[in-house]
Amino acid sequence: MMIETTQSPSHDIVTEPARTSGLSFIKSRYFRNLAESAHLDQPLEALYHKTVPIHKHSFWYYFGGLTLFFFGIQLITGILLLIYYAPTAEGAHKSVEMIITQVPFGWLIRSLHSWSANALVLSMFIHMFSMFLMKSYRTPREIMWLTGVLLLLLMLGFGFTGYLLPWDQTAYFATKIGTEVPKAIPVFGDMTAGLLRGSKEVSGTTLIRLFALHVGVLPLIALLVVLAHVTLTGLLGTTSPVGTPIKRRVYFLPDYVLGEGIVWLIGFGVLLTVAFLYPWQLGKAYDLAKPTEPPAGVHPEWYFMFLFQTLRYVPEMVAIIGFTLVLIFWTAVPWLDRRSKANKKSPLFTIIGIIAILYIATMTTLAYIAVGNEASAEATAAKPAAVAAPNTGGGK
Amino acid sequence: MEALDKPRKRRTLLKWLFGGSLAAFFAPAGYAVAKYLSFTAPVNGSATAKLSAADLSPAMPAKLLQINGEPIIVVREPDNAIRAFTATCTHLGCIVSYREVLPGTESKPAAGFYCKCHKGEYDLNGVNIPGTRPPRPLTELTVAQSADDLTISLTPKAKG
Repeated sequence: MMIETTQSPSHDIVTEPARTSGLSFIKSRYFRNLAESAHLDQPLEALYHKTVPIHKHSFWYYFGGLTLFFFGIQLITGILLLIYYAPTAEGAHKSVEMIITQVPFGWLIRSLHSWSANALVLSMFIHMFSMFLMKSYRTPREIMWLTGVLLLLLMLGFGFTGYLLPWDQTAYFATKIGTEVPKAIPVFGDMTAGLLRGSKEVSGTTLIRLFALHVGVLPLIALLVVLAHVTLTGLLGTTSPVGTPIKRRVYFLPDYVLGEGIVWLIGFGVLLTVAFLYPWQLGKAYDLAKPTEPPAGVHPEWYFMFLFQTLRYVPEMVAIIGFTLVLIFWTAVPWLDRRSKANKKSPLFTIIGIIAILYIATMTTLAYIAVGNEASAEATAAKPAAVAAPNTGGGK
Repeated sequence: MEALDKPRKRRTLLKWLFGGSLAAFFAPAGYAVAKYLSFTAPVNGSATAKLSAADLSPAMPAKLLQINGEPIIVVREPDNAIRAFTATCTHLGCIVSYREVLPGTESKPAAGFYCKCHKGEYDLNGVNIPGTRPPRPLTELTVAQSADDLTISLTPKAKG
């Protein structure tokens, strides 16, 4: 049992499971010749024989693939949006307005892009925490964990840089706050904020910078890291948590892929329904020439809310240093968790994982309660003024 | 024999159902993307271009203007007639200009329209000069004149 869980599946297959369906095209002469000429016959042969272990917690592995699926949706819809989007302070809001009101199916493509971004982050969080709690990062999968942490940062980067692009008032103020926080970084604070903004305040220069990051720099890096992450999954395979017996093995092709396909279909169905019924909204344009106060309850996307809420309790500098340390710890987990490394149960790290989930859940809930309170407070504060106005008019 | 054939038929049916659902998904998705891509953004501009006849002086006998983003050229020709043509070269779409002496006609000067990109030439009627690259003449446009005000529209001038 212990041996089986420590080795990667490609080495410990003694007898292959019976195939329930064939992949006849792989065995076809043309395909084989083509693969051979590209020296891909051996990797493909390995992929053909690759099996996936099935155990009590196998379900959670689907979220990795689901995240990949949403990443694909982001690439396709993102490229489509790029065709009509104009990254200037004067043109950005107008171009998004044109996409959602004039371009055929533009509203759907934009809505899919925004909703899929959120679905991606949600699926990624589920994937990350389930992998953490199953200690999937243990030897030999340390690098997989490392690329995963990198992808977490990249995807959050996508979220942050993409938020400003529609150039509505919420986007403007959320980015203003988001680029103000780095100023508290010791020594490099002003430089970091300056690099992000490209000007003293959030301006057209900031928009182009974040746009360049969002559609140029981040996708390039993310594609490479996704490729590494997925290739490593292919090479090392998955295993079961310590102490969970492997029930059986199924072929990766086509059995596991078809199962993943069902999950993708469900994911896409939910995404399409939500994007269709609740088209992503566009707020009022922000005019740099006419500064206004922020609209009620300005807040970042939900996945930044726990950071946002933490800033209410501690000074920026403490939060930045704290989260940096947490991130370093999170990255180094495969090396710090020595019990998992030795294939022993590691309750301490299970508790750490649960604390992390509870912290994020609690802080996010508190943040939304606070935002809700502020919005209703503002509404009640605005009411008497609205009632008073006609009275004074009548008095005259 | 028939019983042996049954699973194979079932497999064929399943294959068609699977392929069919894929097609049923990708066809509308492809349609939506094709519609999305084929949108042409409306050009915000007036349907006519306005100009004062006095703007066309002997020193500056031609002007390039645009109607709805389409370049046009208005010219006071040597016989003093004011005419307008589409300014897009019919060869590869560059913008033509007016020349009082077309290159190559120095020995026997002739005015006309010239395209810099591939030395395309048109005569004063906008007709492409044989031996140069443009395959078709420029389209002459309608010029309405009241006193000094010229109004040019994209309507081709009636031949007469």
